[in-house]
Order: sequence, then C-alpha cells, then structure tokens
Amino acid sequence: MSRHQEPFDSFAAAQSESRRTAVRLGSKAGHEKRTEVLNRDYPGSPSRVDSLRRLAGEIKQHTLDHLDLYLERAQARLEANGAKVHFAADADEACRTVLGILQSRGAKRVVKTKSMATEEIELGAFLEREGIESLETDLGEFIVQLDADKPSHIVKPIMHKDRREVARTFEGHGLGAYDDTPEVITRRAREHLRRKYLEADVGITGANFISAESGRLVLVTNEGNSRFCLAATRCHIALVGIEKLVPRDRDLGVLLNLLARSATGQALSVYTEFITGPRAASQPDGPDEMHVIFVDNGRSEILAGDCREILRCIRCGACLNVCPVYRQSSGHAYRGVYSGPVGAVLTPLLAGEGFNHFADLPRASSLCGACNEVCPVDIPIPDLLLRLRDRGKRAGAKPAAAAPSMKTFARLASRSATWRRALRAGRLLGLLPGPLRPRALRVWSENHVLPPWRGGAFREWFAKRNRPPVDGAV
Amino acid sequence: MKAPRVQLMATCLADAFFDDVARATVEVLEHLGCEVSFPEDQTCCSQPAFNSGDWPAARQVARHCLRVFNDAAPVVVPSGSCARMVSHGALVLFEGEPEVDRTQAAELAQRTWELGDFVVRGLGVVRWPGRLGMRLAFHRSCHSRGTAYAEGALTLLRSIDGVEVVEIGEGEQCCGFGGTFSVGFPQISRGMGTLKIDHVLATAPDALVSADSSCLMHISGLADRTGRPLRALHLAQVLRDALRAASPEVRA
Amino acid sequence: MGDARQLILDRVKAALAILPEKKPLPEYPADVALSLGAPAPGDAVAGFREQLESVRGRSFTDPAALGAWLAEQGATRGYCDPALAGWLGTALGGDLALETTLDRDRIDDYQFGITRAWGAVAETGSLILDDATTSRRLGALAPWIHIAVVAPERILPDVGSAIAALGDDPNVIFCTGPSKTADVEGILIEGVHGPGEQVALIYSRA
Repeated sequence: MSRHQEPFDSFAAAQSESRRTAVRLGSKAGHEKRTEVLNRDYPGSPSRVDSLRRLAGEIKQHTLDHLDLYLERAQARLEANGAKVHFAADADEACRTVLGILQSRGAKRVVKTKSMATEEIELGAFLEREGIESLETDLGEFIVQLDADKPSHIVKPIMHKDRREVARTFEGHGLGAYDDTPEVITRRAREHLRRKYLEADVGITGANFISAESGRLVLVTNEGNSRFCLAATRCHIALVGIEKLVPRDRDLGVLLNLLARSATGQALSVYTEFITGPRAASQPDGPDEMHVIFVDNGRSEILAGDCREILRCIRCGACLNVCPVYRQSSGHAYRGVYSGPVGAVLTPLLAGEGFNHFADLPRASSLCGACNEVCPVDIPIPDLLLRLRDRGKRAGAKPAAAAPSMKTFARLASRSATWRRALRAGRLLGLLPGPLRPRALRVWSENHVLPPWRGGAFREWFAKRNRPPVDGAV
Repeated sequence: MKAPRVQLMATCLADAFFDDVARATVEVLEHLGCEVSFPEDQTCCSQPAFNSGDWPAARQVARHCLRVFNDAAPVVVPSGSCARMVSHGALVLFEGEPEVDRTQAAELAQRTWELGDFVVRGLGVVRWPGRLGMRLAFHRSCHSRGTAYAEGALTLLRSIDGVEVVEIGEGEQCCGFGGTFSVGFPQISRGMGTLKIDHVLATAPDALVSADSSCLMHISGLADRTGRPLRALHLAQVLRDALRAASPEVRA
Repeated sequence: MGDARQLILDRVKAALAILPEKKPLPEYPADVALSLGAPAPGDAVAGFREQLESVRGRSFTDPAALGAWLAEQGATRGYCDPALAGWLGTALGGDLALETTLDRDRIDDYQFGITRAWGAVAETGSLILDDATTSRRLGALAPWIHIAVVAPERILPDVGSAIAALGDDPNVIFCTGPSKTADVEGILIEGVHGPGEQVALIYSRA
C-alpha cells in the first residue's frame, strides 16, 4: 500500500493468513487464561494482582540495585554447595566456557532445555560447529531446531506454526508418516527424545531464578524435559543471565506464583525444580557435576542506562500475549531472540554498538501500555520504549517512515501567534492536491476519512460568548 | 472540591477538528458551577514530538505548555491521552533536565485532570443528571491504564437516565492510533483498528464513546473509509447532550 | 574466568555507583502470595486432593483402590522404591511385577514407577520429591504412570510454606500434575517427557 513503510509493518502485512491467525489466537488465548487465573486466585479491590506485581517488581529492582552484592553472595553459596561457578562477559566467552567443560569430560552429546540465555548466545549453533550434538528437548524448541527456524515467542516457541506444518516437519525428518494429530506428534517426540536423554553426556539449562541466600537455582517447565536432562545425564551446565538473582528463598514464592500464572495461567508450572548442587550421594540419578555460568553479554551496560528496569524481566511472555502489535506481526517481525514489547526494548539494548540497526523496534508500538498492565514485575515498558526512541533519534538512526517533521511542529506549537495562524490556514490543507500534502497526511488518508477542519472554531465560539471569558490571569 | 475556577486545556485536536468537544467540555464544567478560563496561548501538550522520539522538540513545546498553564488553578483536559502526557509523560521528558523544568512539570502534573476523572474524583459528582436514550459502546482509551479515568467516565455514563453502556470485546486492546504510529505502521494500525470496529459493531451501539478524540478520529475515520460508518461521541458530548435533554431546573 | 568475573563486577559496581537512590528490600507478610486455592487450616489433605484433581492428577488413600485402578489401566509391571516394595506390593493386591532396580536400557518396560514423596503442597496439588526420599529421579519420571506415596501429615498448606521447608537437600522438585505441553496450536497434551498420569497415594503405614 504505502510506498513509505517501516520494514516491520511490511513484514506484518506480508505474513500468510494462517500464520497471522495462529499468532492472534495463540496470544489471545494466553492472555485470557492469564487474566482469568490471576483474578480467580487473587480477587479483591484494590487489585491484589496489581499489588503483587508491584511487590515482585520491587524485589527484582532491589536485586538489580544491589546486583554486585547478590552476585558475590550467590557465587559463594553455590560454591559452598558444591557447584562450580563461572563468569562470561559476552556470548563468545559463554560458549567457550561451555565448550571447555564439555571437552574436559570428553562429552559429545548434549541435551538442552529451553533457555532464552542460550538462544541469545546462539549456543546450539556454536556447539554444532564444534562437532557436538546439541539437542533441544522442549517440544516447541525441538521443532524449531528441526526446521532451522527461530522461536517466535518466549514461552510458546512455535506459536506461529500450525499442526500441518509440524506434521510435515516430522515426516521430513523421519519421525513417522504424516500425521497432524497433536497427540501423535507429542508421542513421537517423547519416544525419540527419551533415547536422546539417556545417551547424552551433559544437560544444559538456563535458570528462572537463583536465590542468593541459598544458591538455589530454580528451573520451571511443564513438559518435564529439564527434569529428564537432570535425571539422565551426569553433568549439569546452567547458563544464567546475571539479572536472574533474587535475594532470598522467600522471594521465590512471590515470583513463582506470578510467573506460572502470567506465562501459562497455571498456579505452578508442572515441574518446579530447586537445585543447589550435584545430586545427593544416595541418589543414583542425576549430575555429579554442576556448573553455573553467569552471563553478562550486555546486561551490565543496560544496568548503567535509563532502561535498567527491563532487567527485572522474568520471561513470562505476558506482554507478548496482550500486545496488539505482536498479535498483528508475530515474533519474527522483531528480528531477535526476544520479541514483543520486551523484545522491542531488549533487542536494541543488547545489540550494543548495533543499536541503530534495531532502532525501529521501539517505534513499533502504539504505546498502549497493555504490556505494563500485565507485567508481573511491573516494568514501565512504554516509558522505556519512549526513552529508546529518543536515544535512536539522538544516535542518528534512520528516522521513521512517513514521520512528520517535529521541528516544524515544535516551531508552530511553541509560538502562540503562529499556532493561531496555522489553525486558520490549516483549513486550506485539506484542499491541496494529494502530492502536495504532507506525506503523513497522505498515508493517514489511505486508511481514514479525515474529519472536517475546524481550526480556530472553538476559540471564536469561546470569545463570542455572552459572558466575558475569564482570563487565567484575573 | 467545590466549583473551583478551572483552566481548560482544549487539546490541539479539539482546536483543529473537534471544536464541539471543547464546547461541550465548557458547558459540562459550567453546569457544575466551575468558572472556566481558556488560556489563549495554549497549543499542544507536546505528545506528538515526545512519542516520535524528538525530545528536544517535545521539550520546547512542553515548556511552552508549562508557561501557559502556570496559574495555580486546576487544568481540565477532555483527553486522557493529553492528561497523561502532562501528568506522567512530561516527568519522563524532563528527567535529567534543569530543576526548574522538573519542578514546574511536577507541579502542573499534580493539578492536571482528565475531564471524567475531574468530575468524579475532583468534584465528587457520581450521578449525572438529564436523560439520553442511547446504547453506548465505551472504548477505554489506552492512556486510562493505571489511572481512574475510565472508571470516572463509566461512573458518569452509567448514571445517566436512559443510557445503556455495553462492554466491547477485547476491551484491553488498543484501537491502533498511537499518534505517528498510525502513519509509520499503517497496516498494523489498520489491523488493530479493524478488530476494534468489529467488536464495536458487534454490540450494535447507537454510538461509540471515549474520553479521547484521537482514538475516535482513528476508529471512525477508518470505519468511514472501509464503508462501515460508526457514530463517535466524546464523553463531554454525551454529558452535554444529556443535560440538554434535562429539565430547565437541572440545566440551571 | 577470573578476569571475566572481575570485569563484570567492576561494570556492575560502576553502573550502580551513579544511581541516585536504591530500592530497599521490601518486607512483606509470609502469606502475601497465598491464593484463593489455599486450603483452610486443618484441611490440607482434602485441599491437596481437590487441587491435584484440578491439575488433572489423581489421588488415592486406599492402596487396594490404587491397585484396582492400576489393573484397569492394564499396568502390570513397574519400578518400585525398594523401601516400599514389600508392604505396598501386598497392599496393592493383584498381580503386579514390582522391580526394585531400574534398568536404563529397558526404560520403556516400566509401565509405572512408585516412589516416596517428601511431602506435598495443598494449595497447588504438588508432590514434593527430593533426592533423599525419592529413590530414583528416573523412576518418578520416565514411566507413563508415576505414583508417589506421601504421608498425610507431610502435606503443607501452601507454596510459601513449602519453600520455607526446602531444607538442605541438593534437589527438590514440585511436581504439579502430569507432564504437559500446549506447544502445538495451544492444544493440551499430557505425558510429553514425563508421566501422563501423576498419582498420589496419601497413606501412612501405621
């Protein structure tokens, strides 16, 4: 339609109808379930849900504001519990640290759980290049891996696919004849993957939280794949963003209650695992070696800036589900590991020097604030998007398509007399032939009938009223 | 608060397109006994530039706004969006700026009200007189989130004799206006607007009501363009129309 | 790695040094996140059973009834914690083959796994397994049916009290209903990697 388009908008418009429908229905269902369950479990006015969200936000913000302290404390506890702790400043160092551990054990086969940190550092591709089989075990991630696709949602990686697409993928990879029954697809994955767990040398996970008080690492899944990784293999490597800490075990209660309800509308996810170290001596199954790799990869830089609140994020996906722009465009429009509102903030920030390449993402929002309204840690996402728009503008990023000049606007709107003249002259604006109108007006007119121009009409009415207007200065 | 002197911030959209909304706002406030002034030098709250990321331009306009409304009287705005710009956005805009700006912005923020919120929480009026036999679909404009704006508007609308307020589906979903978003991302914006129109029409209302002319301009403009016309009314217009239908004593 | 650690901590400290103010650690009552699903005091067993059912798990208080259910499922062979096999084999009745060792090479031969749970959470219907109590992690995970034997007095009222009771076991896991996914078109499917049936036998051997 318009020749002046944001690539993001073009991407959204070019999607297939089945994809658009899948994303819209998937995210809508996720939002509705979340809202129903939170309001059912925490009824009351003023909203108990909101007070819990604020409390969780305060817990996470406090942790970030004292992150040095909690990192050192968590490291000490983890080491006292028998885990080995590593630090990685960037993606490359994180990948190499994993490789070093694998090589020290002669490990060749890895089973992985879904982890945004490992997606972010592209660990799977790195390990494959190093000749190590790295298998995703979350059903959605497994399908993404088979397809050499990218996850389109933080919690539901294949929200953009329908069952037919999945069935074709399974058929193409020798996982049985075409059958698009979700139950059959799931059974086949079960049978295939359980052999892989049992053959694997190492299980790699992320972490939802680490309590600095106890060093407890918390892993949450519904499928049980992380548990299988930690029951079948002898070595556990956890890649953990440095922001994943909470101060105390009791804080886990608040956050877990909100996480599962926000993510999937459950009181608790099916498996919530608390790990402080290698298995007990009496336990036959599970790792006898545990490594925790704290990954920075741009987080400390975010912490130093005015969007640090985004580091509270617990990756529940609620902001994606409610976001009208996400629903129209799907996760892939965001061109990064993180999509939706959180992605529009995180992706440009994590890009560091490449910020300008993603400066359009913060603009891909109507700033409606639904994301903040559902956020379990109350991140003021619209404010962060606005700060990033300012930053993009200052950094000389490519400006928005069809953007009217705000310099002209500011000149008009900061001079009263000019403004009043423009109001009267504006009446002419609508009479100009198409090509002479400002570009923004042309784009607007493609979608809308413009209301009649009534510039200055109110002022005339107010001035002419019988009662003399009471001036503010009187 | 009893019938104070108030300053009307009419908004740039009312100044340019929706003069009747501003007139209705004056009549509503005067009915409540307020003495309404209209500072003539007013222009815009600065939100277009703020949302576009041109913050130096936005600050230029916002400073103008601070100067125009420096009188201590409450400022009433027939727009949740502009009210939020003044009461919240400006505080973000002036972060790290000279203290004089921040102080003035904070001072204006705490005496700026969205119209419905001002009537209900500011003046304590929870029943609106008059009569209007209408079925109204209420659009909670997004800038009412985290505020009492929508609650205020709904309290008043529901109290009007003869008015039936109907909930529209997926009420939490944005209509897709978003200022310059609607021209930068026209196809996503249209998709959002179309969904909103679907939900509104499904309730078969006599009119769509909102506390924001911007949402209404987008929704009804898109509805007209796509051949599904929709009558849109601002909250202030509904309140004014109800008064007109009221007995002369009430109007007095 | 020593370098990375120092580098990260230095960056973090530098970032925090410029903050005008820092959020204090919020204090809050222990029951702040208690949901409407939490049972009334003294009603933990009934509450647990109700919640477990709501997450599509099952509970039994009578071993013979559980034995009859297993027979209905056509389950005849499974893994059983050696500490339970003797008395429970008798109590379940029927003709069950209980193996007290778990052979990883025959993992699909086990139709069920019976282990002990450390406790349970009434608020959410969760079973609590830990390394010390649960004889084998795989035994509680790989078979289609998992049966956890939990003593009624070990059912804790809510998530908060369960977290407070985590203790020093290196691995504690809350299992809340059967393993599940909704990855394909949002359709709920149970038994993805773990059990398709999560069963609690609430029972104390007097």
